[in-house]
Amino acid sequence: METVFTTDLKPLLDAVSQQMELYIPKKSGEFYVFIKYDPASGQTIEFNNIRACTPLKDFLFPVRELAAVFPEAAEAEEVKPFAVFGLKDCDLRALDVLDKVFIEKDFRDPFYVKRRENMFIIASDCFEPAGSCFCNVMDGKPFADKGFDLNISQVEGGFIVEIGSEKGDEFVKKHSNIFKNLPENALDERKKNRTETKKQLAEQNAEMKFDCPVREIFDSSEDSEVYDIEAKTCVECQACTRICPTCHCFYLYDTKQKDYFSKMKMWDSCMRQAYAAVAGGANPNKILGDRIKHRLMHKFVYFLDRYGINMCVGCGRCVDAEAGEVDIREIMKKLYQELKDRDSKLTKVSK
Amino acid sequence: MSENPYQPIDSEIIDIIDESPTIKTFVVVTNGPFKFETGQFVELTLPGEGEAPFTPSSSPNDTEKMEISIMNAGRVTNLLHKCGKGQKVGIRGPFGNGYPIEDFVGKDVYIVGGGVGLAPIRSLFLTLVERAKDFKSIVCRYGARTPEDFIYKKTLHGKWQKIDGVDIKLTVDKANGDWKGNVGVVTTILKGDDVNIKNAVAVVCGPPIMMKFATLKLLEFGFADEQIYLSMEKNMSCGFGKCGHCMIGKYYVCKDGPVFTYDQIKKYPKIWD
Ligand SMILES: Cc1cc2nc3c(=O)[nH]c(=O)nc-3n(C[C@H](O)[C@H](O)[C@H](O)COP(=O)(O)OP(=O)(O)OC[C@H]3O[C@@H](n4cnc5c(N)ncnc54)[C@H](O)[C@@H]3O)c2cc1C
Ligand code: SF4
Ligand code: FES
Repeated sequence: METVFTTDLKPLLDAVSQQMELYIPKKSGEFYVFIKYDPASGQTIEFNNIRACTPLKDFLFPVRELAAVFPEAAEAEEVKPFAVFGLKDCDLRALDVLDKVFIEKDFRDPFYVKRRENMFIIASDCFEPAGSCFCNVMDGKPFADKGFDLNISQVEGGFIVEIGSEKGDEFVKKHSNIFKNLPENALDERKKNRTETKKQLAEQNAEMKFDCPVREIFDSSEDSEVYDIEAKTCVECQACTRICPTCHCFYLYDTKQKDYFSKMKMWDSCMRQAYAAVAGGANPNKILGDRIKHRLMHKFVYFLDRYGINMCVGCGRCVDAEAGEVDIREIMKKLYQELKDRDSKLTKVSK
Repeated sequence: MSENPYQPIDSEIIDIIDESPTIKTFVVVTNGPFKFETGQFVELTLPGEGEAPFTPSSSPNDTEKMEISIMNAGRVTNLLHKCGKGQKVGIRGPFGNGYPIEDFVGKDVYIVGGGVGLAPIRSLFLTLVERAKDFKSIVCRYGARTPEDFIYKKTLHGKWQKIDGVDIKLTVDKANGDWKGNVGVVTTILKGDDVNIKNAVAVVCGPPIMMKFATLKLLEFGFADEQIYLSMEKNMSCGFGKCGHCMIGKYYVCKDGPVFTYDQIKKYPKIWD
């Protein structure tokens, strides 16, 4: 893919923000969040080394939105082009998940599709993964090689800008004055940085080296007590599902306005006790451990079976966000251990 | 599907029939023709109040109007029961897969139902009897709590019993008044020789507990897992496989169901809960 170079991010981001609304990362406490960029305000431009804690779904599938107005259907809300800078490979893989759900052959969520078409993606490389990141376990990488319009890699003396789409190409051509040719060795340096970060991830997740697909670990966990044990440390804050970039449950509710009725669409959480309850009292997931199990089975088995990709991208957000102590990595490790123990018992018996 | 799948079609309740102490049938006309297949369901909105999934109980061949039998079971259904003729409602759908009628051709169709589960089954029944000759036989076994709790009483006790090729037996959990029929849960009137199991399909719809025991009984008779069709009732919101509420394993009941063979879902946990 074509690459160019810039010594300073400001002219690039200013140029983007002249064309559309732009969101950039800003450190808030330990983590980054996205804020609106205002070139006139003298805002400092920060390069987020790791994924922001704001999940990308916020931009495409807001917490609450108007889904229908009746009796007279309303004109659909206009969506203006917007850009997000600082997205990581895990964000883009989460986007693949949401695309699979909301843009199917026989179904298109009109609200999602509109925002998706108007989004300009400026991705960037990670180089100081958070302690909770485990994307490498979920087939991810600390840098993206597709799914973006532009990707930025920080190197000595500036930034490599890689073009990933026609939209990105158009932008670079239009603003060719901002960009220079790539310095010699820049790509080698990027490669070195990337390898280094990958190594770091492999090291910090050394305990999660599994000799079977993650799917198998969960698929064989039907009778495991791990979920109920982990549930004891869960305070049901639902933060895991809110912050997860791939969780996409919602519910519809109706409201009465002065001269019309509306149907609202709002995020929901499968961790909520009444989530699957029906009139008459039946509820397959009354017990918290069963809800945790369902959530993880959906992530690692059901979604994969249906759509062919994993629904967990290993971003570690849920690990950080959790008010309780449930840790998806620990569950994975414990279930893996149980699987191995069962396997070795079986081999002993067959011997 | 309209461009906005969340947008209900303007509709109106034009008639209401009292079926039992807890169930009413609402006759609904939509703005323009509305097509569905038997077993598919709709989301019915009471404007400003809420929405719930229901399976039309009328025949899909009646495209003028649709009948929906609703049990007063909670917030929205209670409000619906308080509505009168002329009430504006919204309809989304139809959703789901419906019954695979063509697979039933040439076979004994063994229908087991209970409670408000008779609603989808009525639609199926009407669809089957419209072409009764295509099926070996139509054998129905229905249960209700008490004789008053049966819905579609007039046709159930009268006209339907007399159709050629149809065999209907009823039972109640608790008898009263001049009930002369069987007393006991619906599984007590299921018999291994009701149909020729080698060339039959079974259709089960009703409260979860009834579905469970009916399925176990059918398996005991020798029905294969693939021969048993179950109408699964799960919490629903969107109706098109996105909101996540209705999942059974990898399936979305609203989209891949609500009709499943037992074979499809038996490996997943808690299907009856
Ligand atoms: C495919 C399908 C077909 C159905 N067909 C019929 C029918 O023909 N006749 C009939 O009387 N009933 C039918 N039901 C059940 C009916 O949808 C529920 O009784 C109804 O949703 C209860 O809503 P409520 O607001 O009165 O109850 P509440 O308990 O107050 O509902 C609270 C919430 O739970 C949800 N919910 C509660 N029970 C159910 C349920 N059983 N299924 C899905 N969501 C639920 C509601 O959407 C609501 O969000 C069907 C259910 C499904 C899934
Ligand atoms: S489950 Fe946790 S680690 Fe996986 S994608 Fe969601 S927030 Fe990230
Ligand atoms: S009702 Fe929304 S996914 Fe089935």
